[in-house]
Amino acid sequence: MMMLSNPRVLIGAGVGLRLPHLAEVVAARPSVPWLEIHPENFLANPHATELLLEARRDYPISVHTVGISVGSAGGIDHVHLERVRLLVDMLDPVLVSGHLAWSTHDGEYLNDLLPLPYDDETLRLVVRHLEKVQEALGRPYLLENPSSYVGFDSSTMSELEFLRELVRRTGCRLLCDVSNVFLSGHNMGYDPYWYIDCLPAEAIGELHLGGFTAEEEESEPGAEILIDTHAARIAKPVWDLYAHAVRRFGQKPTLIEWDNDIPSFATLLSEARRADEVAAEALAVEPRRALVG
Amino acid sequence: MPSLAETQLLIRRAVVAGETASVAPLLVGGRDPERRLAIHQRHYESSLMAAIQTKFPATAWLVGTPFLDGAARQFVQQHAPAAPCIAEYGEEFPRFIGQRPGAACVPYLCSFAELEWHLGQVAISVDRPALDLGAFSTFEANTLMDTGLILQAGLRYLCASWPVDDLIQLYLTDTAPNEYRLAPAHVWLEVHGARGEFDINRLDAAEFVFREAILGGQAIGAAAACALDADAQFDIARAFATLIASGRVIGTIRPGRGGKR
Repeated sequence: MMMLSNPRVLIGAGVGLRLPHLAEVVAARPSVPWLEIHPENFLANPHATELLLEARRDYPISVHTVGISVGSAGGIDHVHLERVRLLVDMLDPVLVSGHLAWSTHDGEYLNDLLPLPYDDETLRLVVRHLEKVQEALGRPYLLENPSSYVGFDSSTMSELEFLRELVRRTGCRLLCDVSNVFLSGHNMGYDPYWYIDCLPAEAIGELHLGGFTAEEEESEPGAEILIDTHAARIAKPVWDLYAHAVRRFGQKPTLIEWDNDIPSFATLLSEARRADEVAAEALAVEPRRALVG
Repeated sequence: MPSLAETQLLIRRAVVAGETASVAPLLVGGRDPERRLAIHQRHYESSLMAAIQTKFPATAWLVGTPFLDGAARQFVQQHAPAAPCIAEYGEEFPRFIGQRPGAACVPYLCSFAELEWHLGQVAISVDRPALDLGAFSTFEANTLMDTGLILQAGLRYLCASWPVDDLIQLYLTDTAPNEYRLAPAHVWLEVHGARGEFDINRLDAAEFVFREAILGGQAIGAAAACALDADAQFDIARAFATLIASGRVIGTIRPGRGGKR
């Protein structure tokens, strides 16, 4: 059984703990430095919560919400926020994070992370909601950059300007999903290395890595669009971008996310070990800037 | 330029109902951003359909996968989840599939799917330590009648006009014969589960009414009165002792006080 001398620190690469692996992790206590959970998988599942509390004894936990919709024009779902708060109080996680997106509308949950226009109205709304979330949870909230397929003609600022302003106004921190940076750069036509370089390094508290799926773009034969499926291994160009992010931000807690076609836990561990190796190598060698078209 | 609320309403229509034309002029990205928005629509539909398919495998076995998938697709387009916990999504699906065109020839479909829904729900519950009869040794008879009982969280009471419990056992044990004739018959079912396990018990009508009333928050005396309405021969002492012995009771609600576990 793995024993941790300081369960309040996330060191190295952890993995996303999904329900199919929960019993295995509790029984076998595999050697992984930390685990991240989606509270929405546990809030309505007392048996899973019971097992999670057992795992909590041996692993530092990070809580990554997918249902706190900070971008919803109709307001935050306070019932859901309260349920998350109760779980957070039980787990006392090292980090709590969520998404720059919206997913609830007029009492409905749309089960996806939907895009926002970046303008003053949205900024004021997200600032207000982030303040409520951080007050309710009693801790800083880490906000993840989105994976994008579309943007809005009405946006008056870039995503980077929007994120920087959120950090400045709310004191929130950022979760840099390196895979999202890569695929959004591909889909929306910007240089992902430039995006990493423009993020406020001092605000970065965590990195994410997940697999994506390439599909042919229907309207543009021969062109590919990258879909954030979390259903595959991390792609080589994302590992390269991750190395760049580590050089830029320093070594940060890094999470391997895999949510669909979930493989064996051993596969997740091998991806986490690779993340550690890439990070160690990145910090040991001179920066190399990859050329991106 | 529409407000954020108006924009989100348009996107909601695109994602849930596939109406993308109104929101398309607002979007940028690639040569055809309207088609790109369909990525979100596909994810909404496929992820929620998968949730329904995962929760109702026995129902799919009963009516066939194409029928269940068709119902699931319609359901997710008409019933978005109310909350981000997808484990809670699908409670209305049994009634929905039971009202689909073609379902009339399977009159027990709704009850069957409802039973399956509850099996899934109780299986993720957690049992708490149960009270034994000794816990009631100090109760005066009158006080006992006014006392409520807190039951295990993984308990449901369902009545049906068809023996859907027999039918679902065929699925669960993979023992379906080539031909099976199901005849209408009232059944009163207690579904109990915890930590990945579940079982289904048939009760007689009066005991069902008694336990259902207890679960609904009624005191023992009031629940017994309901049971006596169902069956004048109802034996409260036996029903109470059986309930306690079954390990279903985890606490009491004394008159004028709160619950105690």
